[in-house]
Amino acid sequence: MEVQSTDEQALKDVNVLDFGWAIAGSLTGKYLGDYGATVIKVESSKRIDMIRTSRHVSISTGTNPDDKPRFVQLNTSKYGITLDLQNPRARAVIEKLIIWADVINENFTPGTMEKLGLDYASVKSINPRIIMISGSLFGQTGPLAREWGVDGIGAALSGHSNLIGWPDRGPGGATVTYGDYILPFFNVLAVVSALDYRRKTGKGQYIDASMLEIWTHMTNPAILDWQANANLQNRNGNRIPNASPHGVFPCYGEDRWCAIAVFTEKEWRSFCNVIDDPPWTKEPRFSTLSNRKEHEDELEKLMSEWTVKHEAKDIMHMMQKAGIAASVVQNAQDILDNDPQMREREFFVRLEHPVIGVFNHVNPPFKLLGTKPRTRTAPRLGEHNEYVCTHFLNISDDEFVRLLQDGVFE
Amino acid sequence: MDSLLNGFRALDLTDEKGLACGKILAALGIDVIKIEKPGGDSARYIPPFLDNVSDPENSLYWLAFNTDKRGITLNLETPQGQDLFRELVNESDFVLESFQPGTMDQLGLGYENLKQINPGIILVSITSFGQKGPYSRYKGSELIAYAMSGILGIAGEPDRPPVMEPVGSVYFQACAAAACGAVVSHYYREKTGRGQQVDISIAEVTTNRNTGTFSSWEFDKVLRKRGGPVSEFGKRPSKQIWQCKDGYVFWIFWGGPLGAPGNRALCEWMEEDGIQNPFSRVSDWENFNMAKVTREEHNAFEAAITTFFLRHTKEEISTDGLMRGIRAHVISNPADVFQNSHLNARDYWIKLDYSERGIKLAHSRHFFLCNETMNFVRHRAPHVGEHNNEIFSKEMGISPEVIAELKKGNVI
Repeated sequence: MEVQSTDEQALKDVNVLDFGWAIAGSLTGKYLGDYGATVIKVESSKRIDMIRTSRHVSISTGTNPDDKPRFVQLNTSKYGITLDLQNPRARAVIEKLIIWADVINENFTPGTMEKLGLDYASVKSINPRIIMISGSLFGQTGPLAREWGVDGIGAALSGHSNLIGWPDRGPGGATVTYGDYILPFFNVLAVVSALDYRRKTGKGQYIDASMLEIWTHMTNPAILDWQANANLQNRNGNRIPNASPHGVFPCYGEDRWCAIAVFTEKEWRSFCNVIDDPPWTKEPRFSTLSNRKEHEDELEKLMSEWTVKHEAKDIMHMMQKAGIAASVVQNAQDILDNDPQMREREFFVRLEHPVIGVFNHVNPPFKLLGTKPRTRTAPRLGEHNEYVCTHFLNISDDEFVRLLQDGVFE
Repeated sequence: MDSLLNGFRALDLTDEKGLACGKILAALGIDVIKIEKPGGDSARYIPPFLDNVSDPENSLYWLAFNTDKRGITLNLETPQGQDLFRELVNESDFVLESFQPGTMDQLGLGYENLKQINPGIILVSITSFGQKGPYSRYKGSELIAYAMSGILGIAGEPDRPPVMEPVGSVYFQACAAAACGAVVSHYYREKTGRGQQVDISIAEVTTNRNTGTFSSWEFDKVLRKRGGPVSEFGKRPSKQIWQCKDGYVFWIFWGGPLGAPGNRALCEWMEEDGIQNPFSRVSDWENFNMAKVTREEHNAFEAAITTFFLRHTKEEISTDGLMRGIRAHVISNPADVFQNSHLNARDYWIKLDYSERGIKLAHSRHFFLCNETMNFVRHRAPHVGEHNNEIFSKEMGISPEVIAELKKGNVI
């Protein structure tokens, strides 16, 4: 077998100064770091990353910022330093970091970096080739720019929330965050494209990425439908116009479900065959897609009488064997303990964290087969203060001690 | 003004799973050539349709996710079609595809084949479950990938089956991951000359959104349940979508300094409306701790808020509310999105010309803004085979006789 260049890392020579926090900002630095960039995450013990306070598992305490698995998953492959950005003596360290960096990543509420003297104009005067990205919900300009935002607001304003749920009920909202996870992909692709642009032209640049604007691309078909046809799309449960049956059906066991999607007439015939061709499948009201769409309530009811007698897993395998798209509605246990596909793909990677121990970290969900990620556990709060100063910034040991005594690394 | 990635080319073979990946790359300035089978992509039959008429030129889904691409037709199942494709690969930097794993190999166009032609080529493969593994040949769709990902099971209301997100959302996130992988590979290729394959599993990209709930299983053996449209912040789930006079609004009842200005403003507004409310009994909002509020007190707050929101329109709540310091936002329908004044202030929409039909339609203009480059959506999606002549004759120099032959053989 040909030896792939597995030791190579795609972003090996890239230095990232990472002010990113919470989910979207943290993931941006994580992906860059997992693929080989040197990422220094700057935190402050006075205002720590909110995920370092998240206590959604029982091992996480209210006192130790380093016992949060979620923080670790979002911040792999970084060095961590703490800097009191309000302390004037910290400025010398910050300026050295700016000179060191190719990229600055931040996602504070717009206006915050300016208050800290770290807006693009200021950092550019220190490092003219710098590439800086600000990620936020609303972007850096416009009437809502300074408004504080969460993922759910993006879901609401992009039109996403309104389209989730049942026609006879109110909107469901995005139950699991969407924008916080899509923004980092755009942050990374913008920054890396800008690095390529700088290689060709020598120019750095400033990038203003808005989660809402990215998200709204997704709802463009519905917005075009409104413009062109005056059609206001609404919630429709699990049904779509071009497939039937298309939904989630109850299976044997408590809260167990199977998703089934039948698009073509060929798939419909195979589907009937798998459920042993009960007489109702021969009725004219189910004979074509448009007939099935018209009688979808009855169709789903009759199907459920069959699915509820079978285990979700068996249904998935039976359907797939017959060429029909179907899946268990998996829960966390299914995925972590029993999913052979996940195991094969090594999406989860078990790494040792000095406080939490060995547990599942997460590899980037875009898999580069030639230059694989080398995901390392996340830094403890201020873990690399000395290392970063002496190793990357050429600060002498004596100077480091003086800075330490001045409270720079709070 | 330049775009970030001017001067590079991508060949786009994807169906509905991968269309947005090429759209993103095209907005960065890459010359993306959408290659369709003669007659057009199957994704051209995805609703909704212009004028509500099903036709390959009418799919608004297709028109939304193929902007800025050039379009040619090419039958990859014929040897001549494969030869032409190989010739194009030699002049390209990326190939985007979303066939079932193994299909490209069967066509003699797998990564190993493409690498022989062009060692720098980056092959981006977007599939439901990834290139290898026991489920890799399983049939997928958005609903199926969503079920496999673990998110579907916790989405929706407790008394109903799990409910999916709207069509396009799962694929769009996967395409963002794919474009990201393409660009990171590109950076490495420009340094080393070496291309590679990017392997995107749509289910895995979706699972990535859900890693938080996995920890609950891993550490505490707790499985999250469907809770409906509530916030998971704080100690207990609290409502975040509220019905108003003419629709719904999004608003979170926060405690502490974060919620204080809005809570005070809301209290004043309720008093102006003459609504009896428990807000007026709170004197110190800065130190109002949600964790210490009992279930009964919380219900009383929610009841007052419910009454209040129902008296006002979404416009009043979002616009007047914002001026008062209440951060409520409209659960927008497509018309609301289009009229959003914040997006309009950022020149977010660009009207694309559908001159053959005498209409213009506004599309999202940008994914992000740069001060040195312009990375905008500029042109409508191509018609079936719109650029055949431009690419096959003018750029590849194929003679009219040969083109006639290829057409006759159903190659283009």
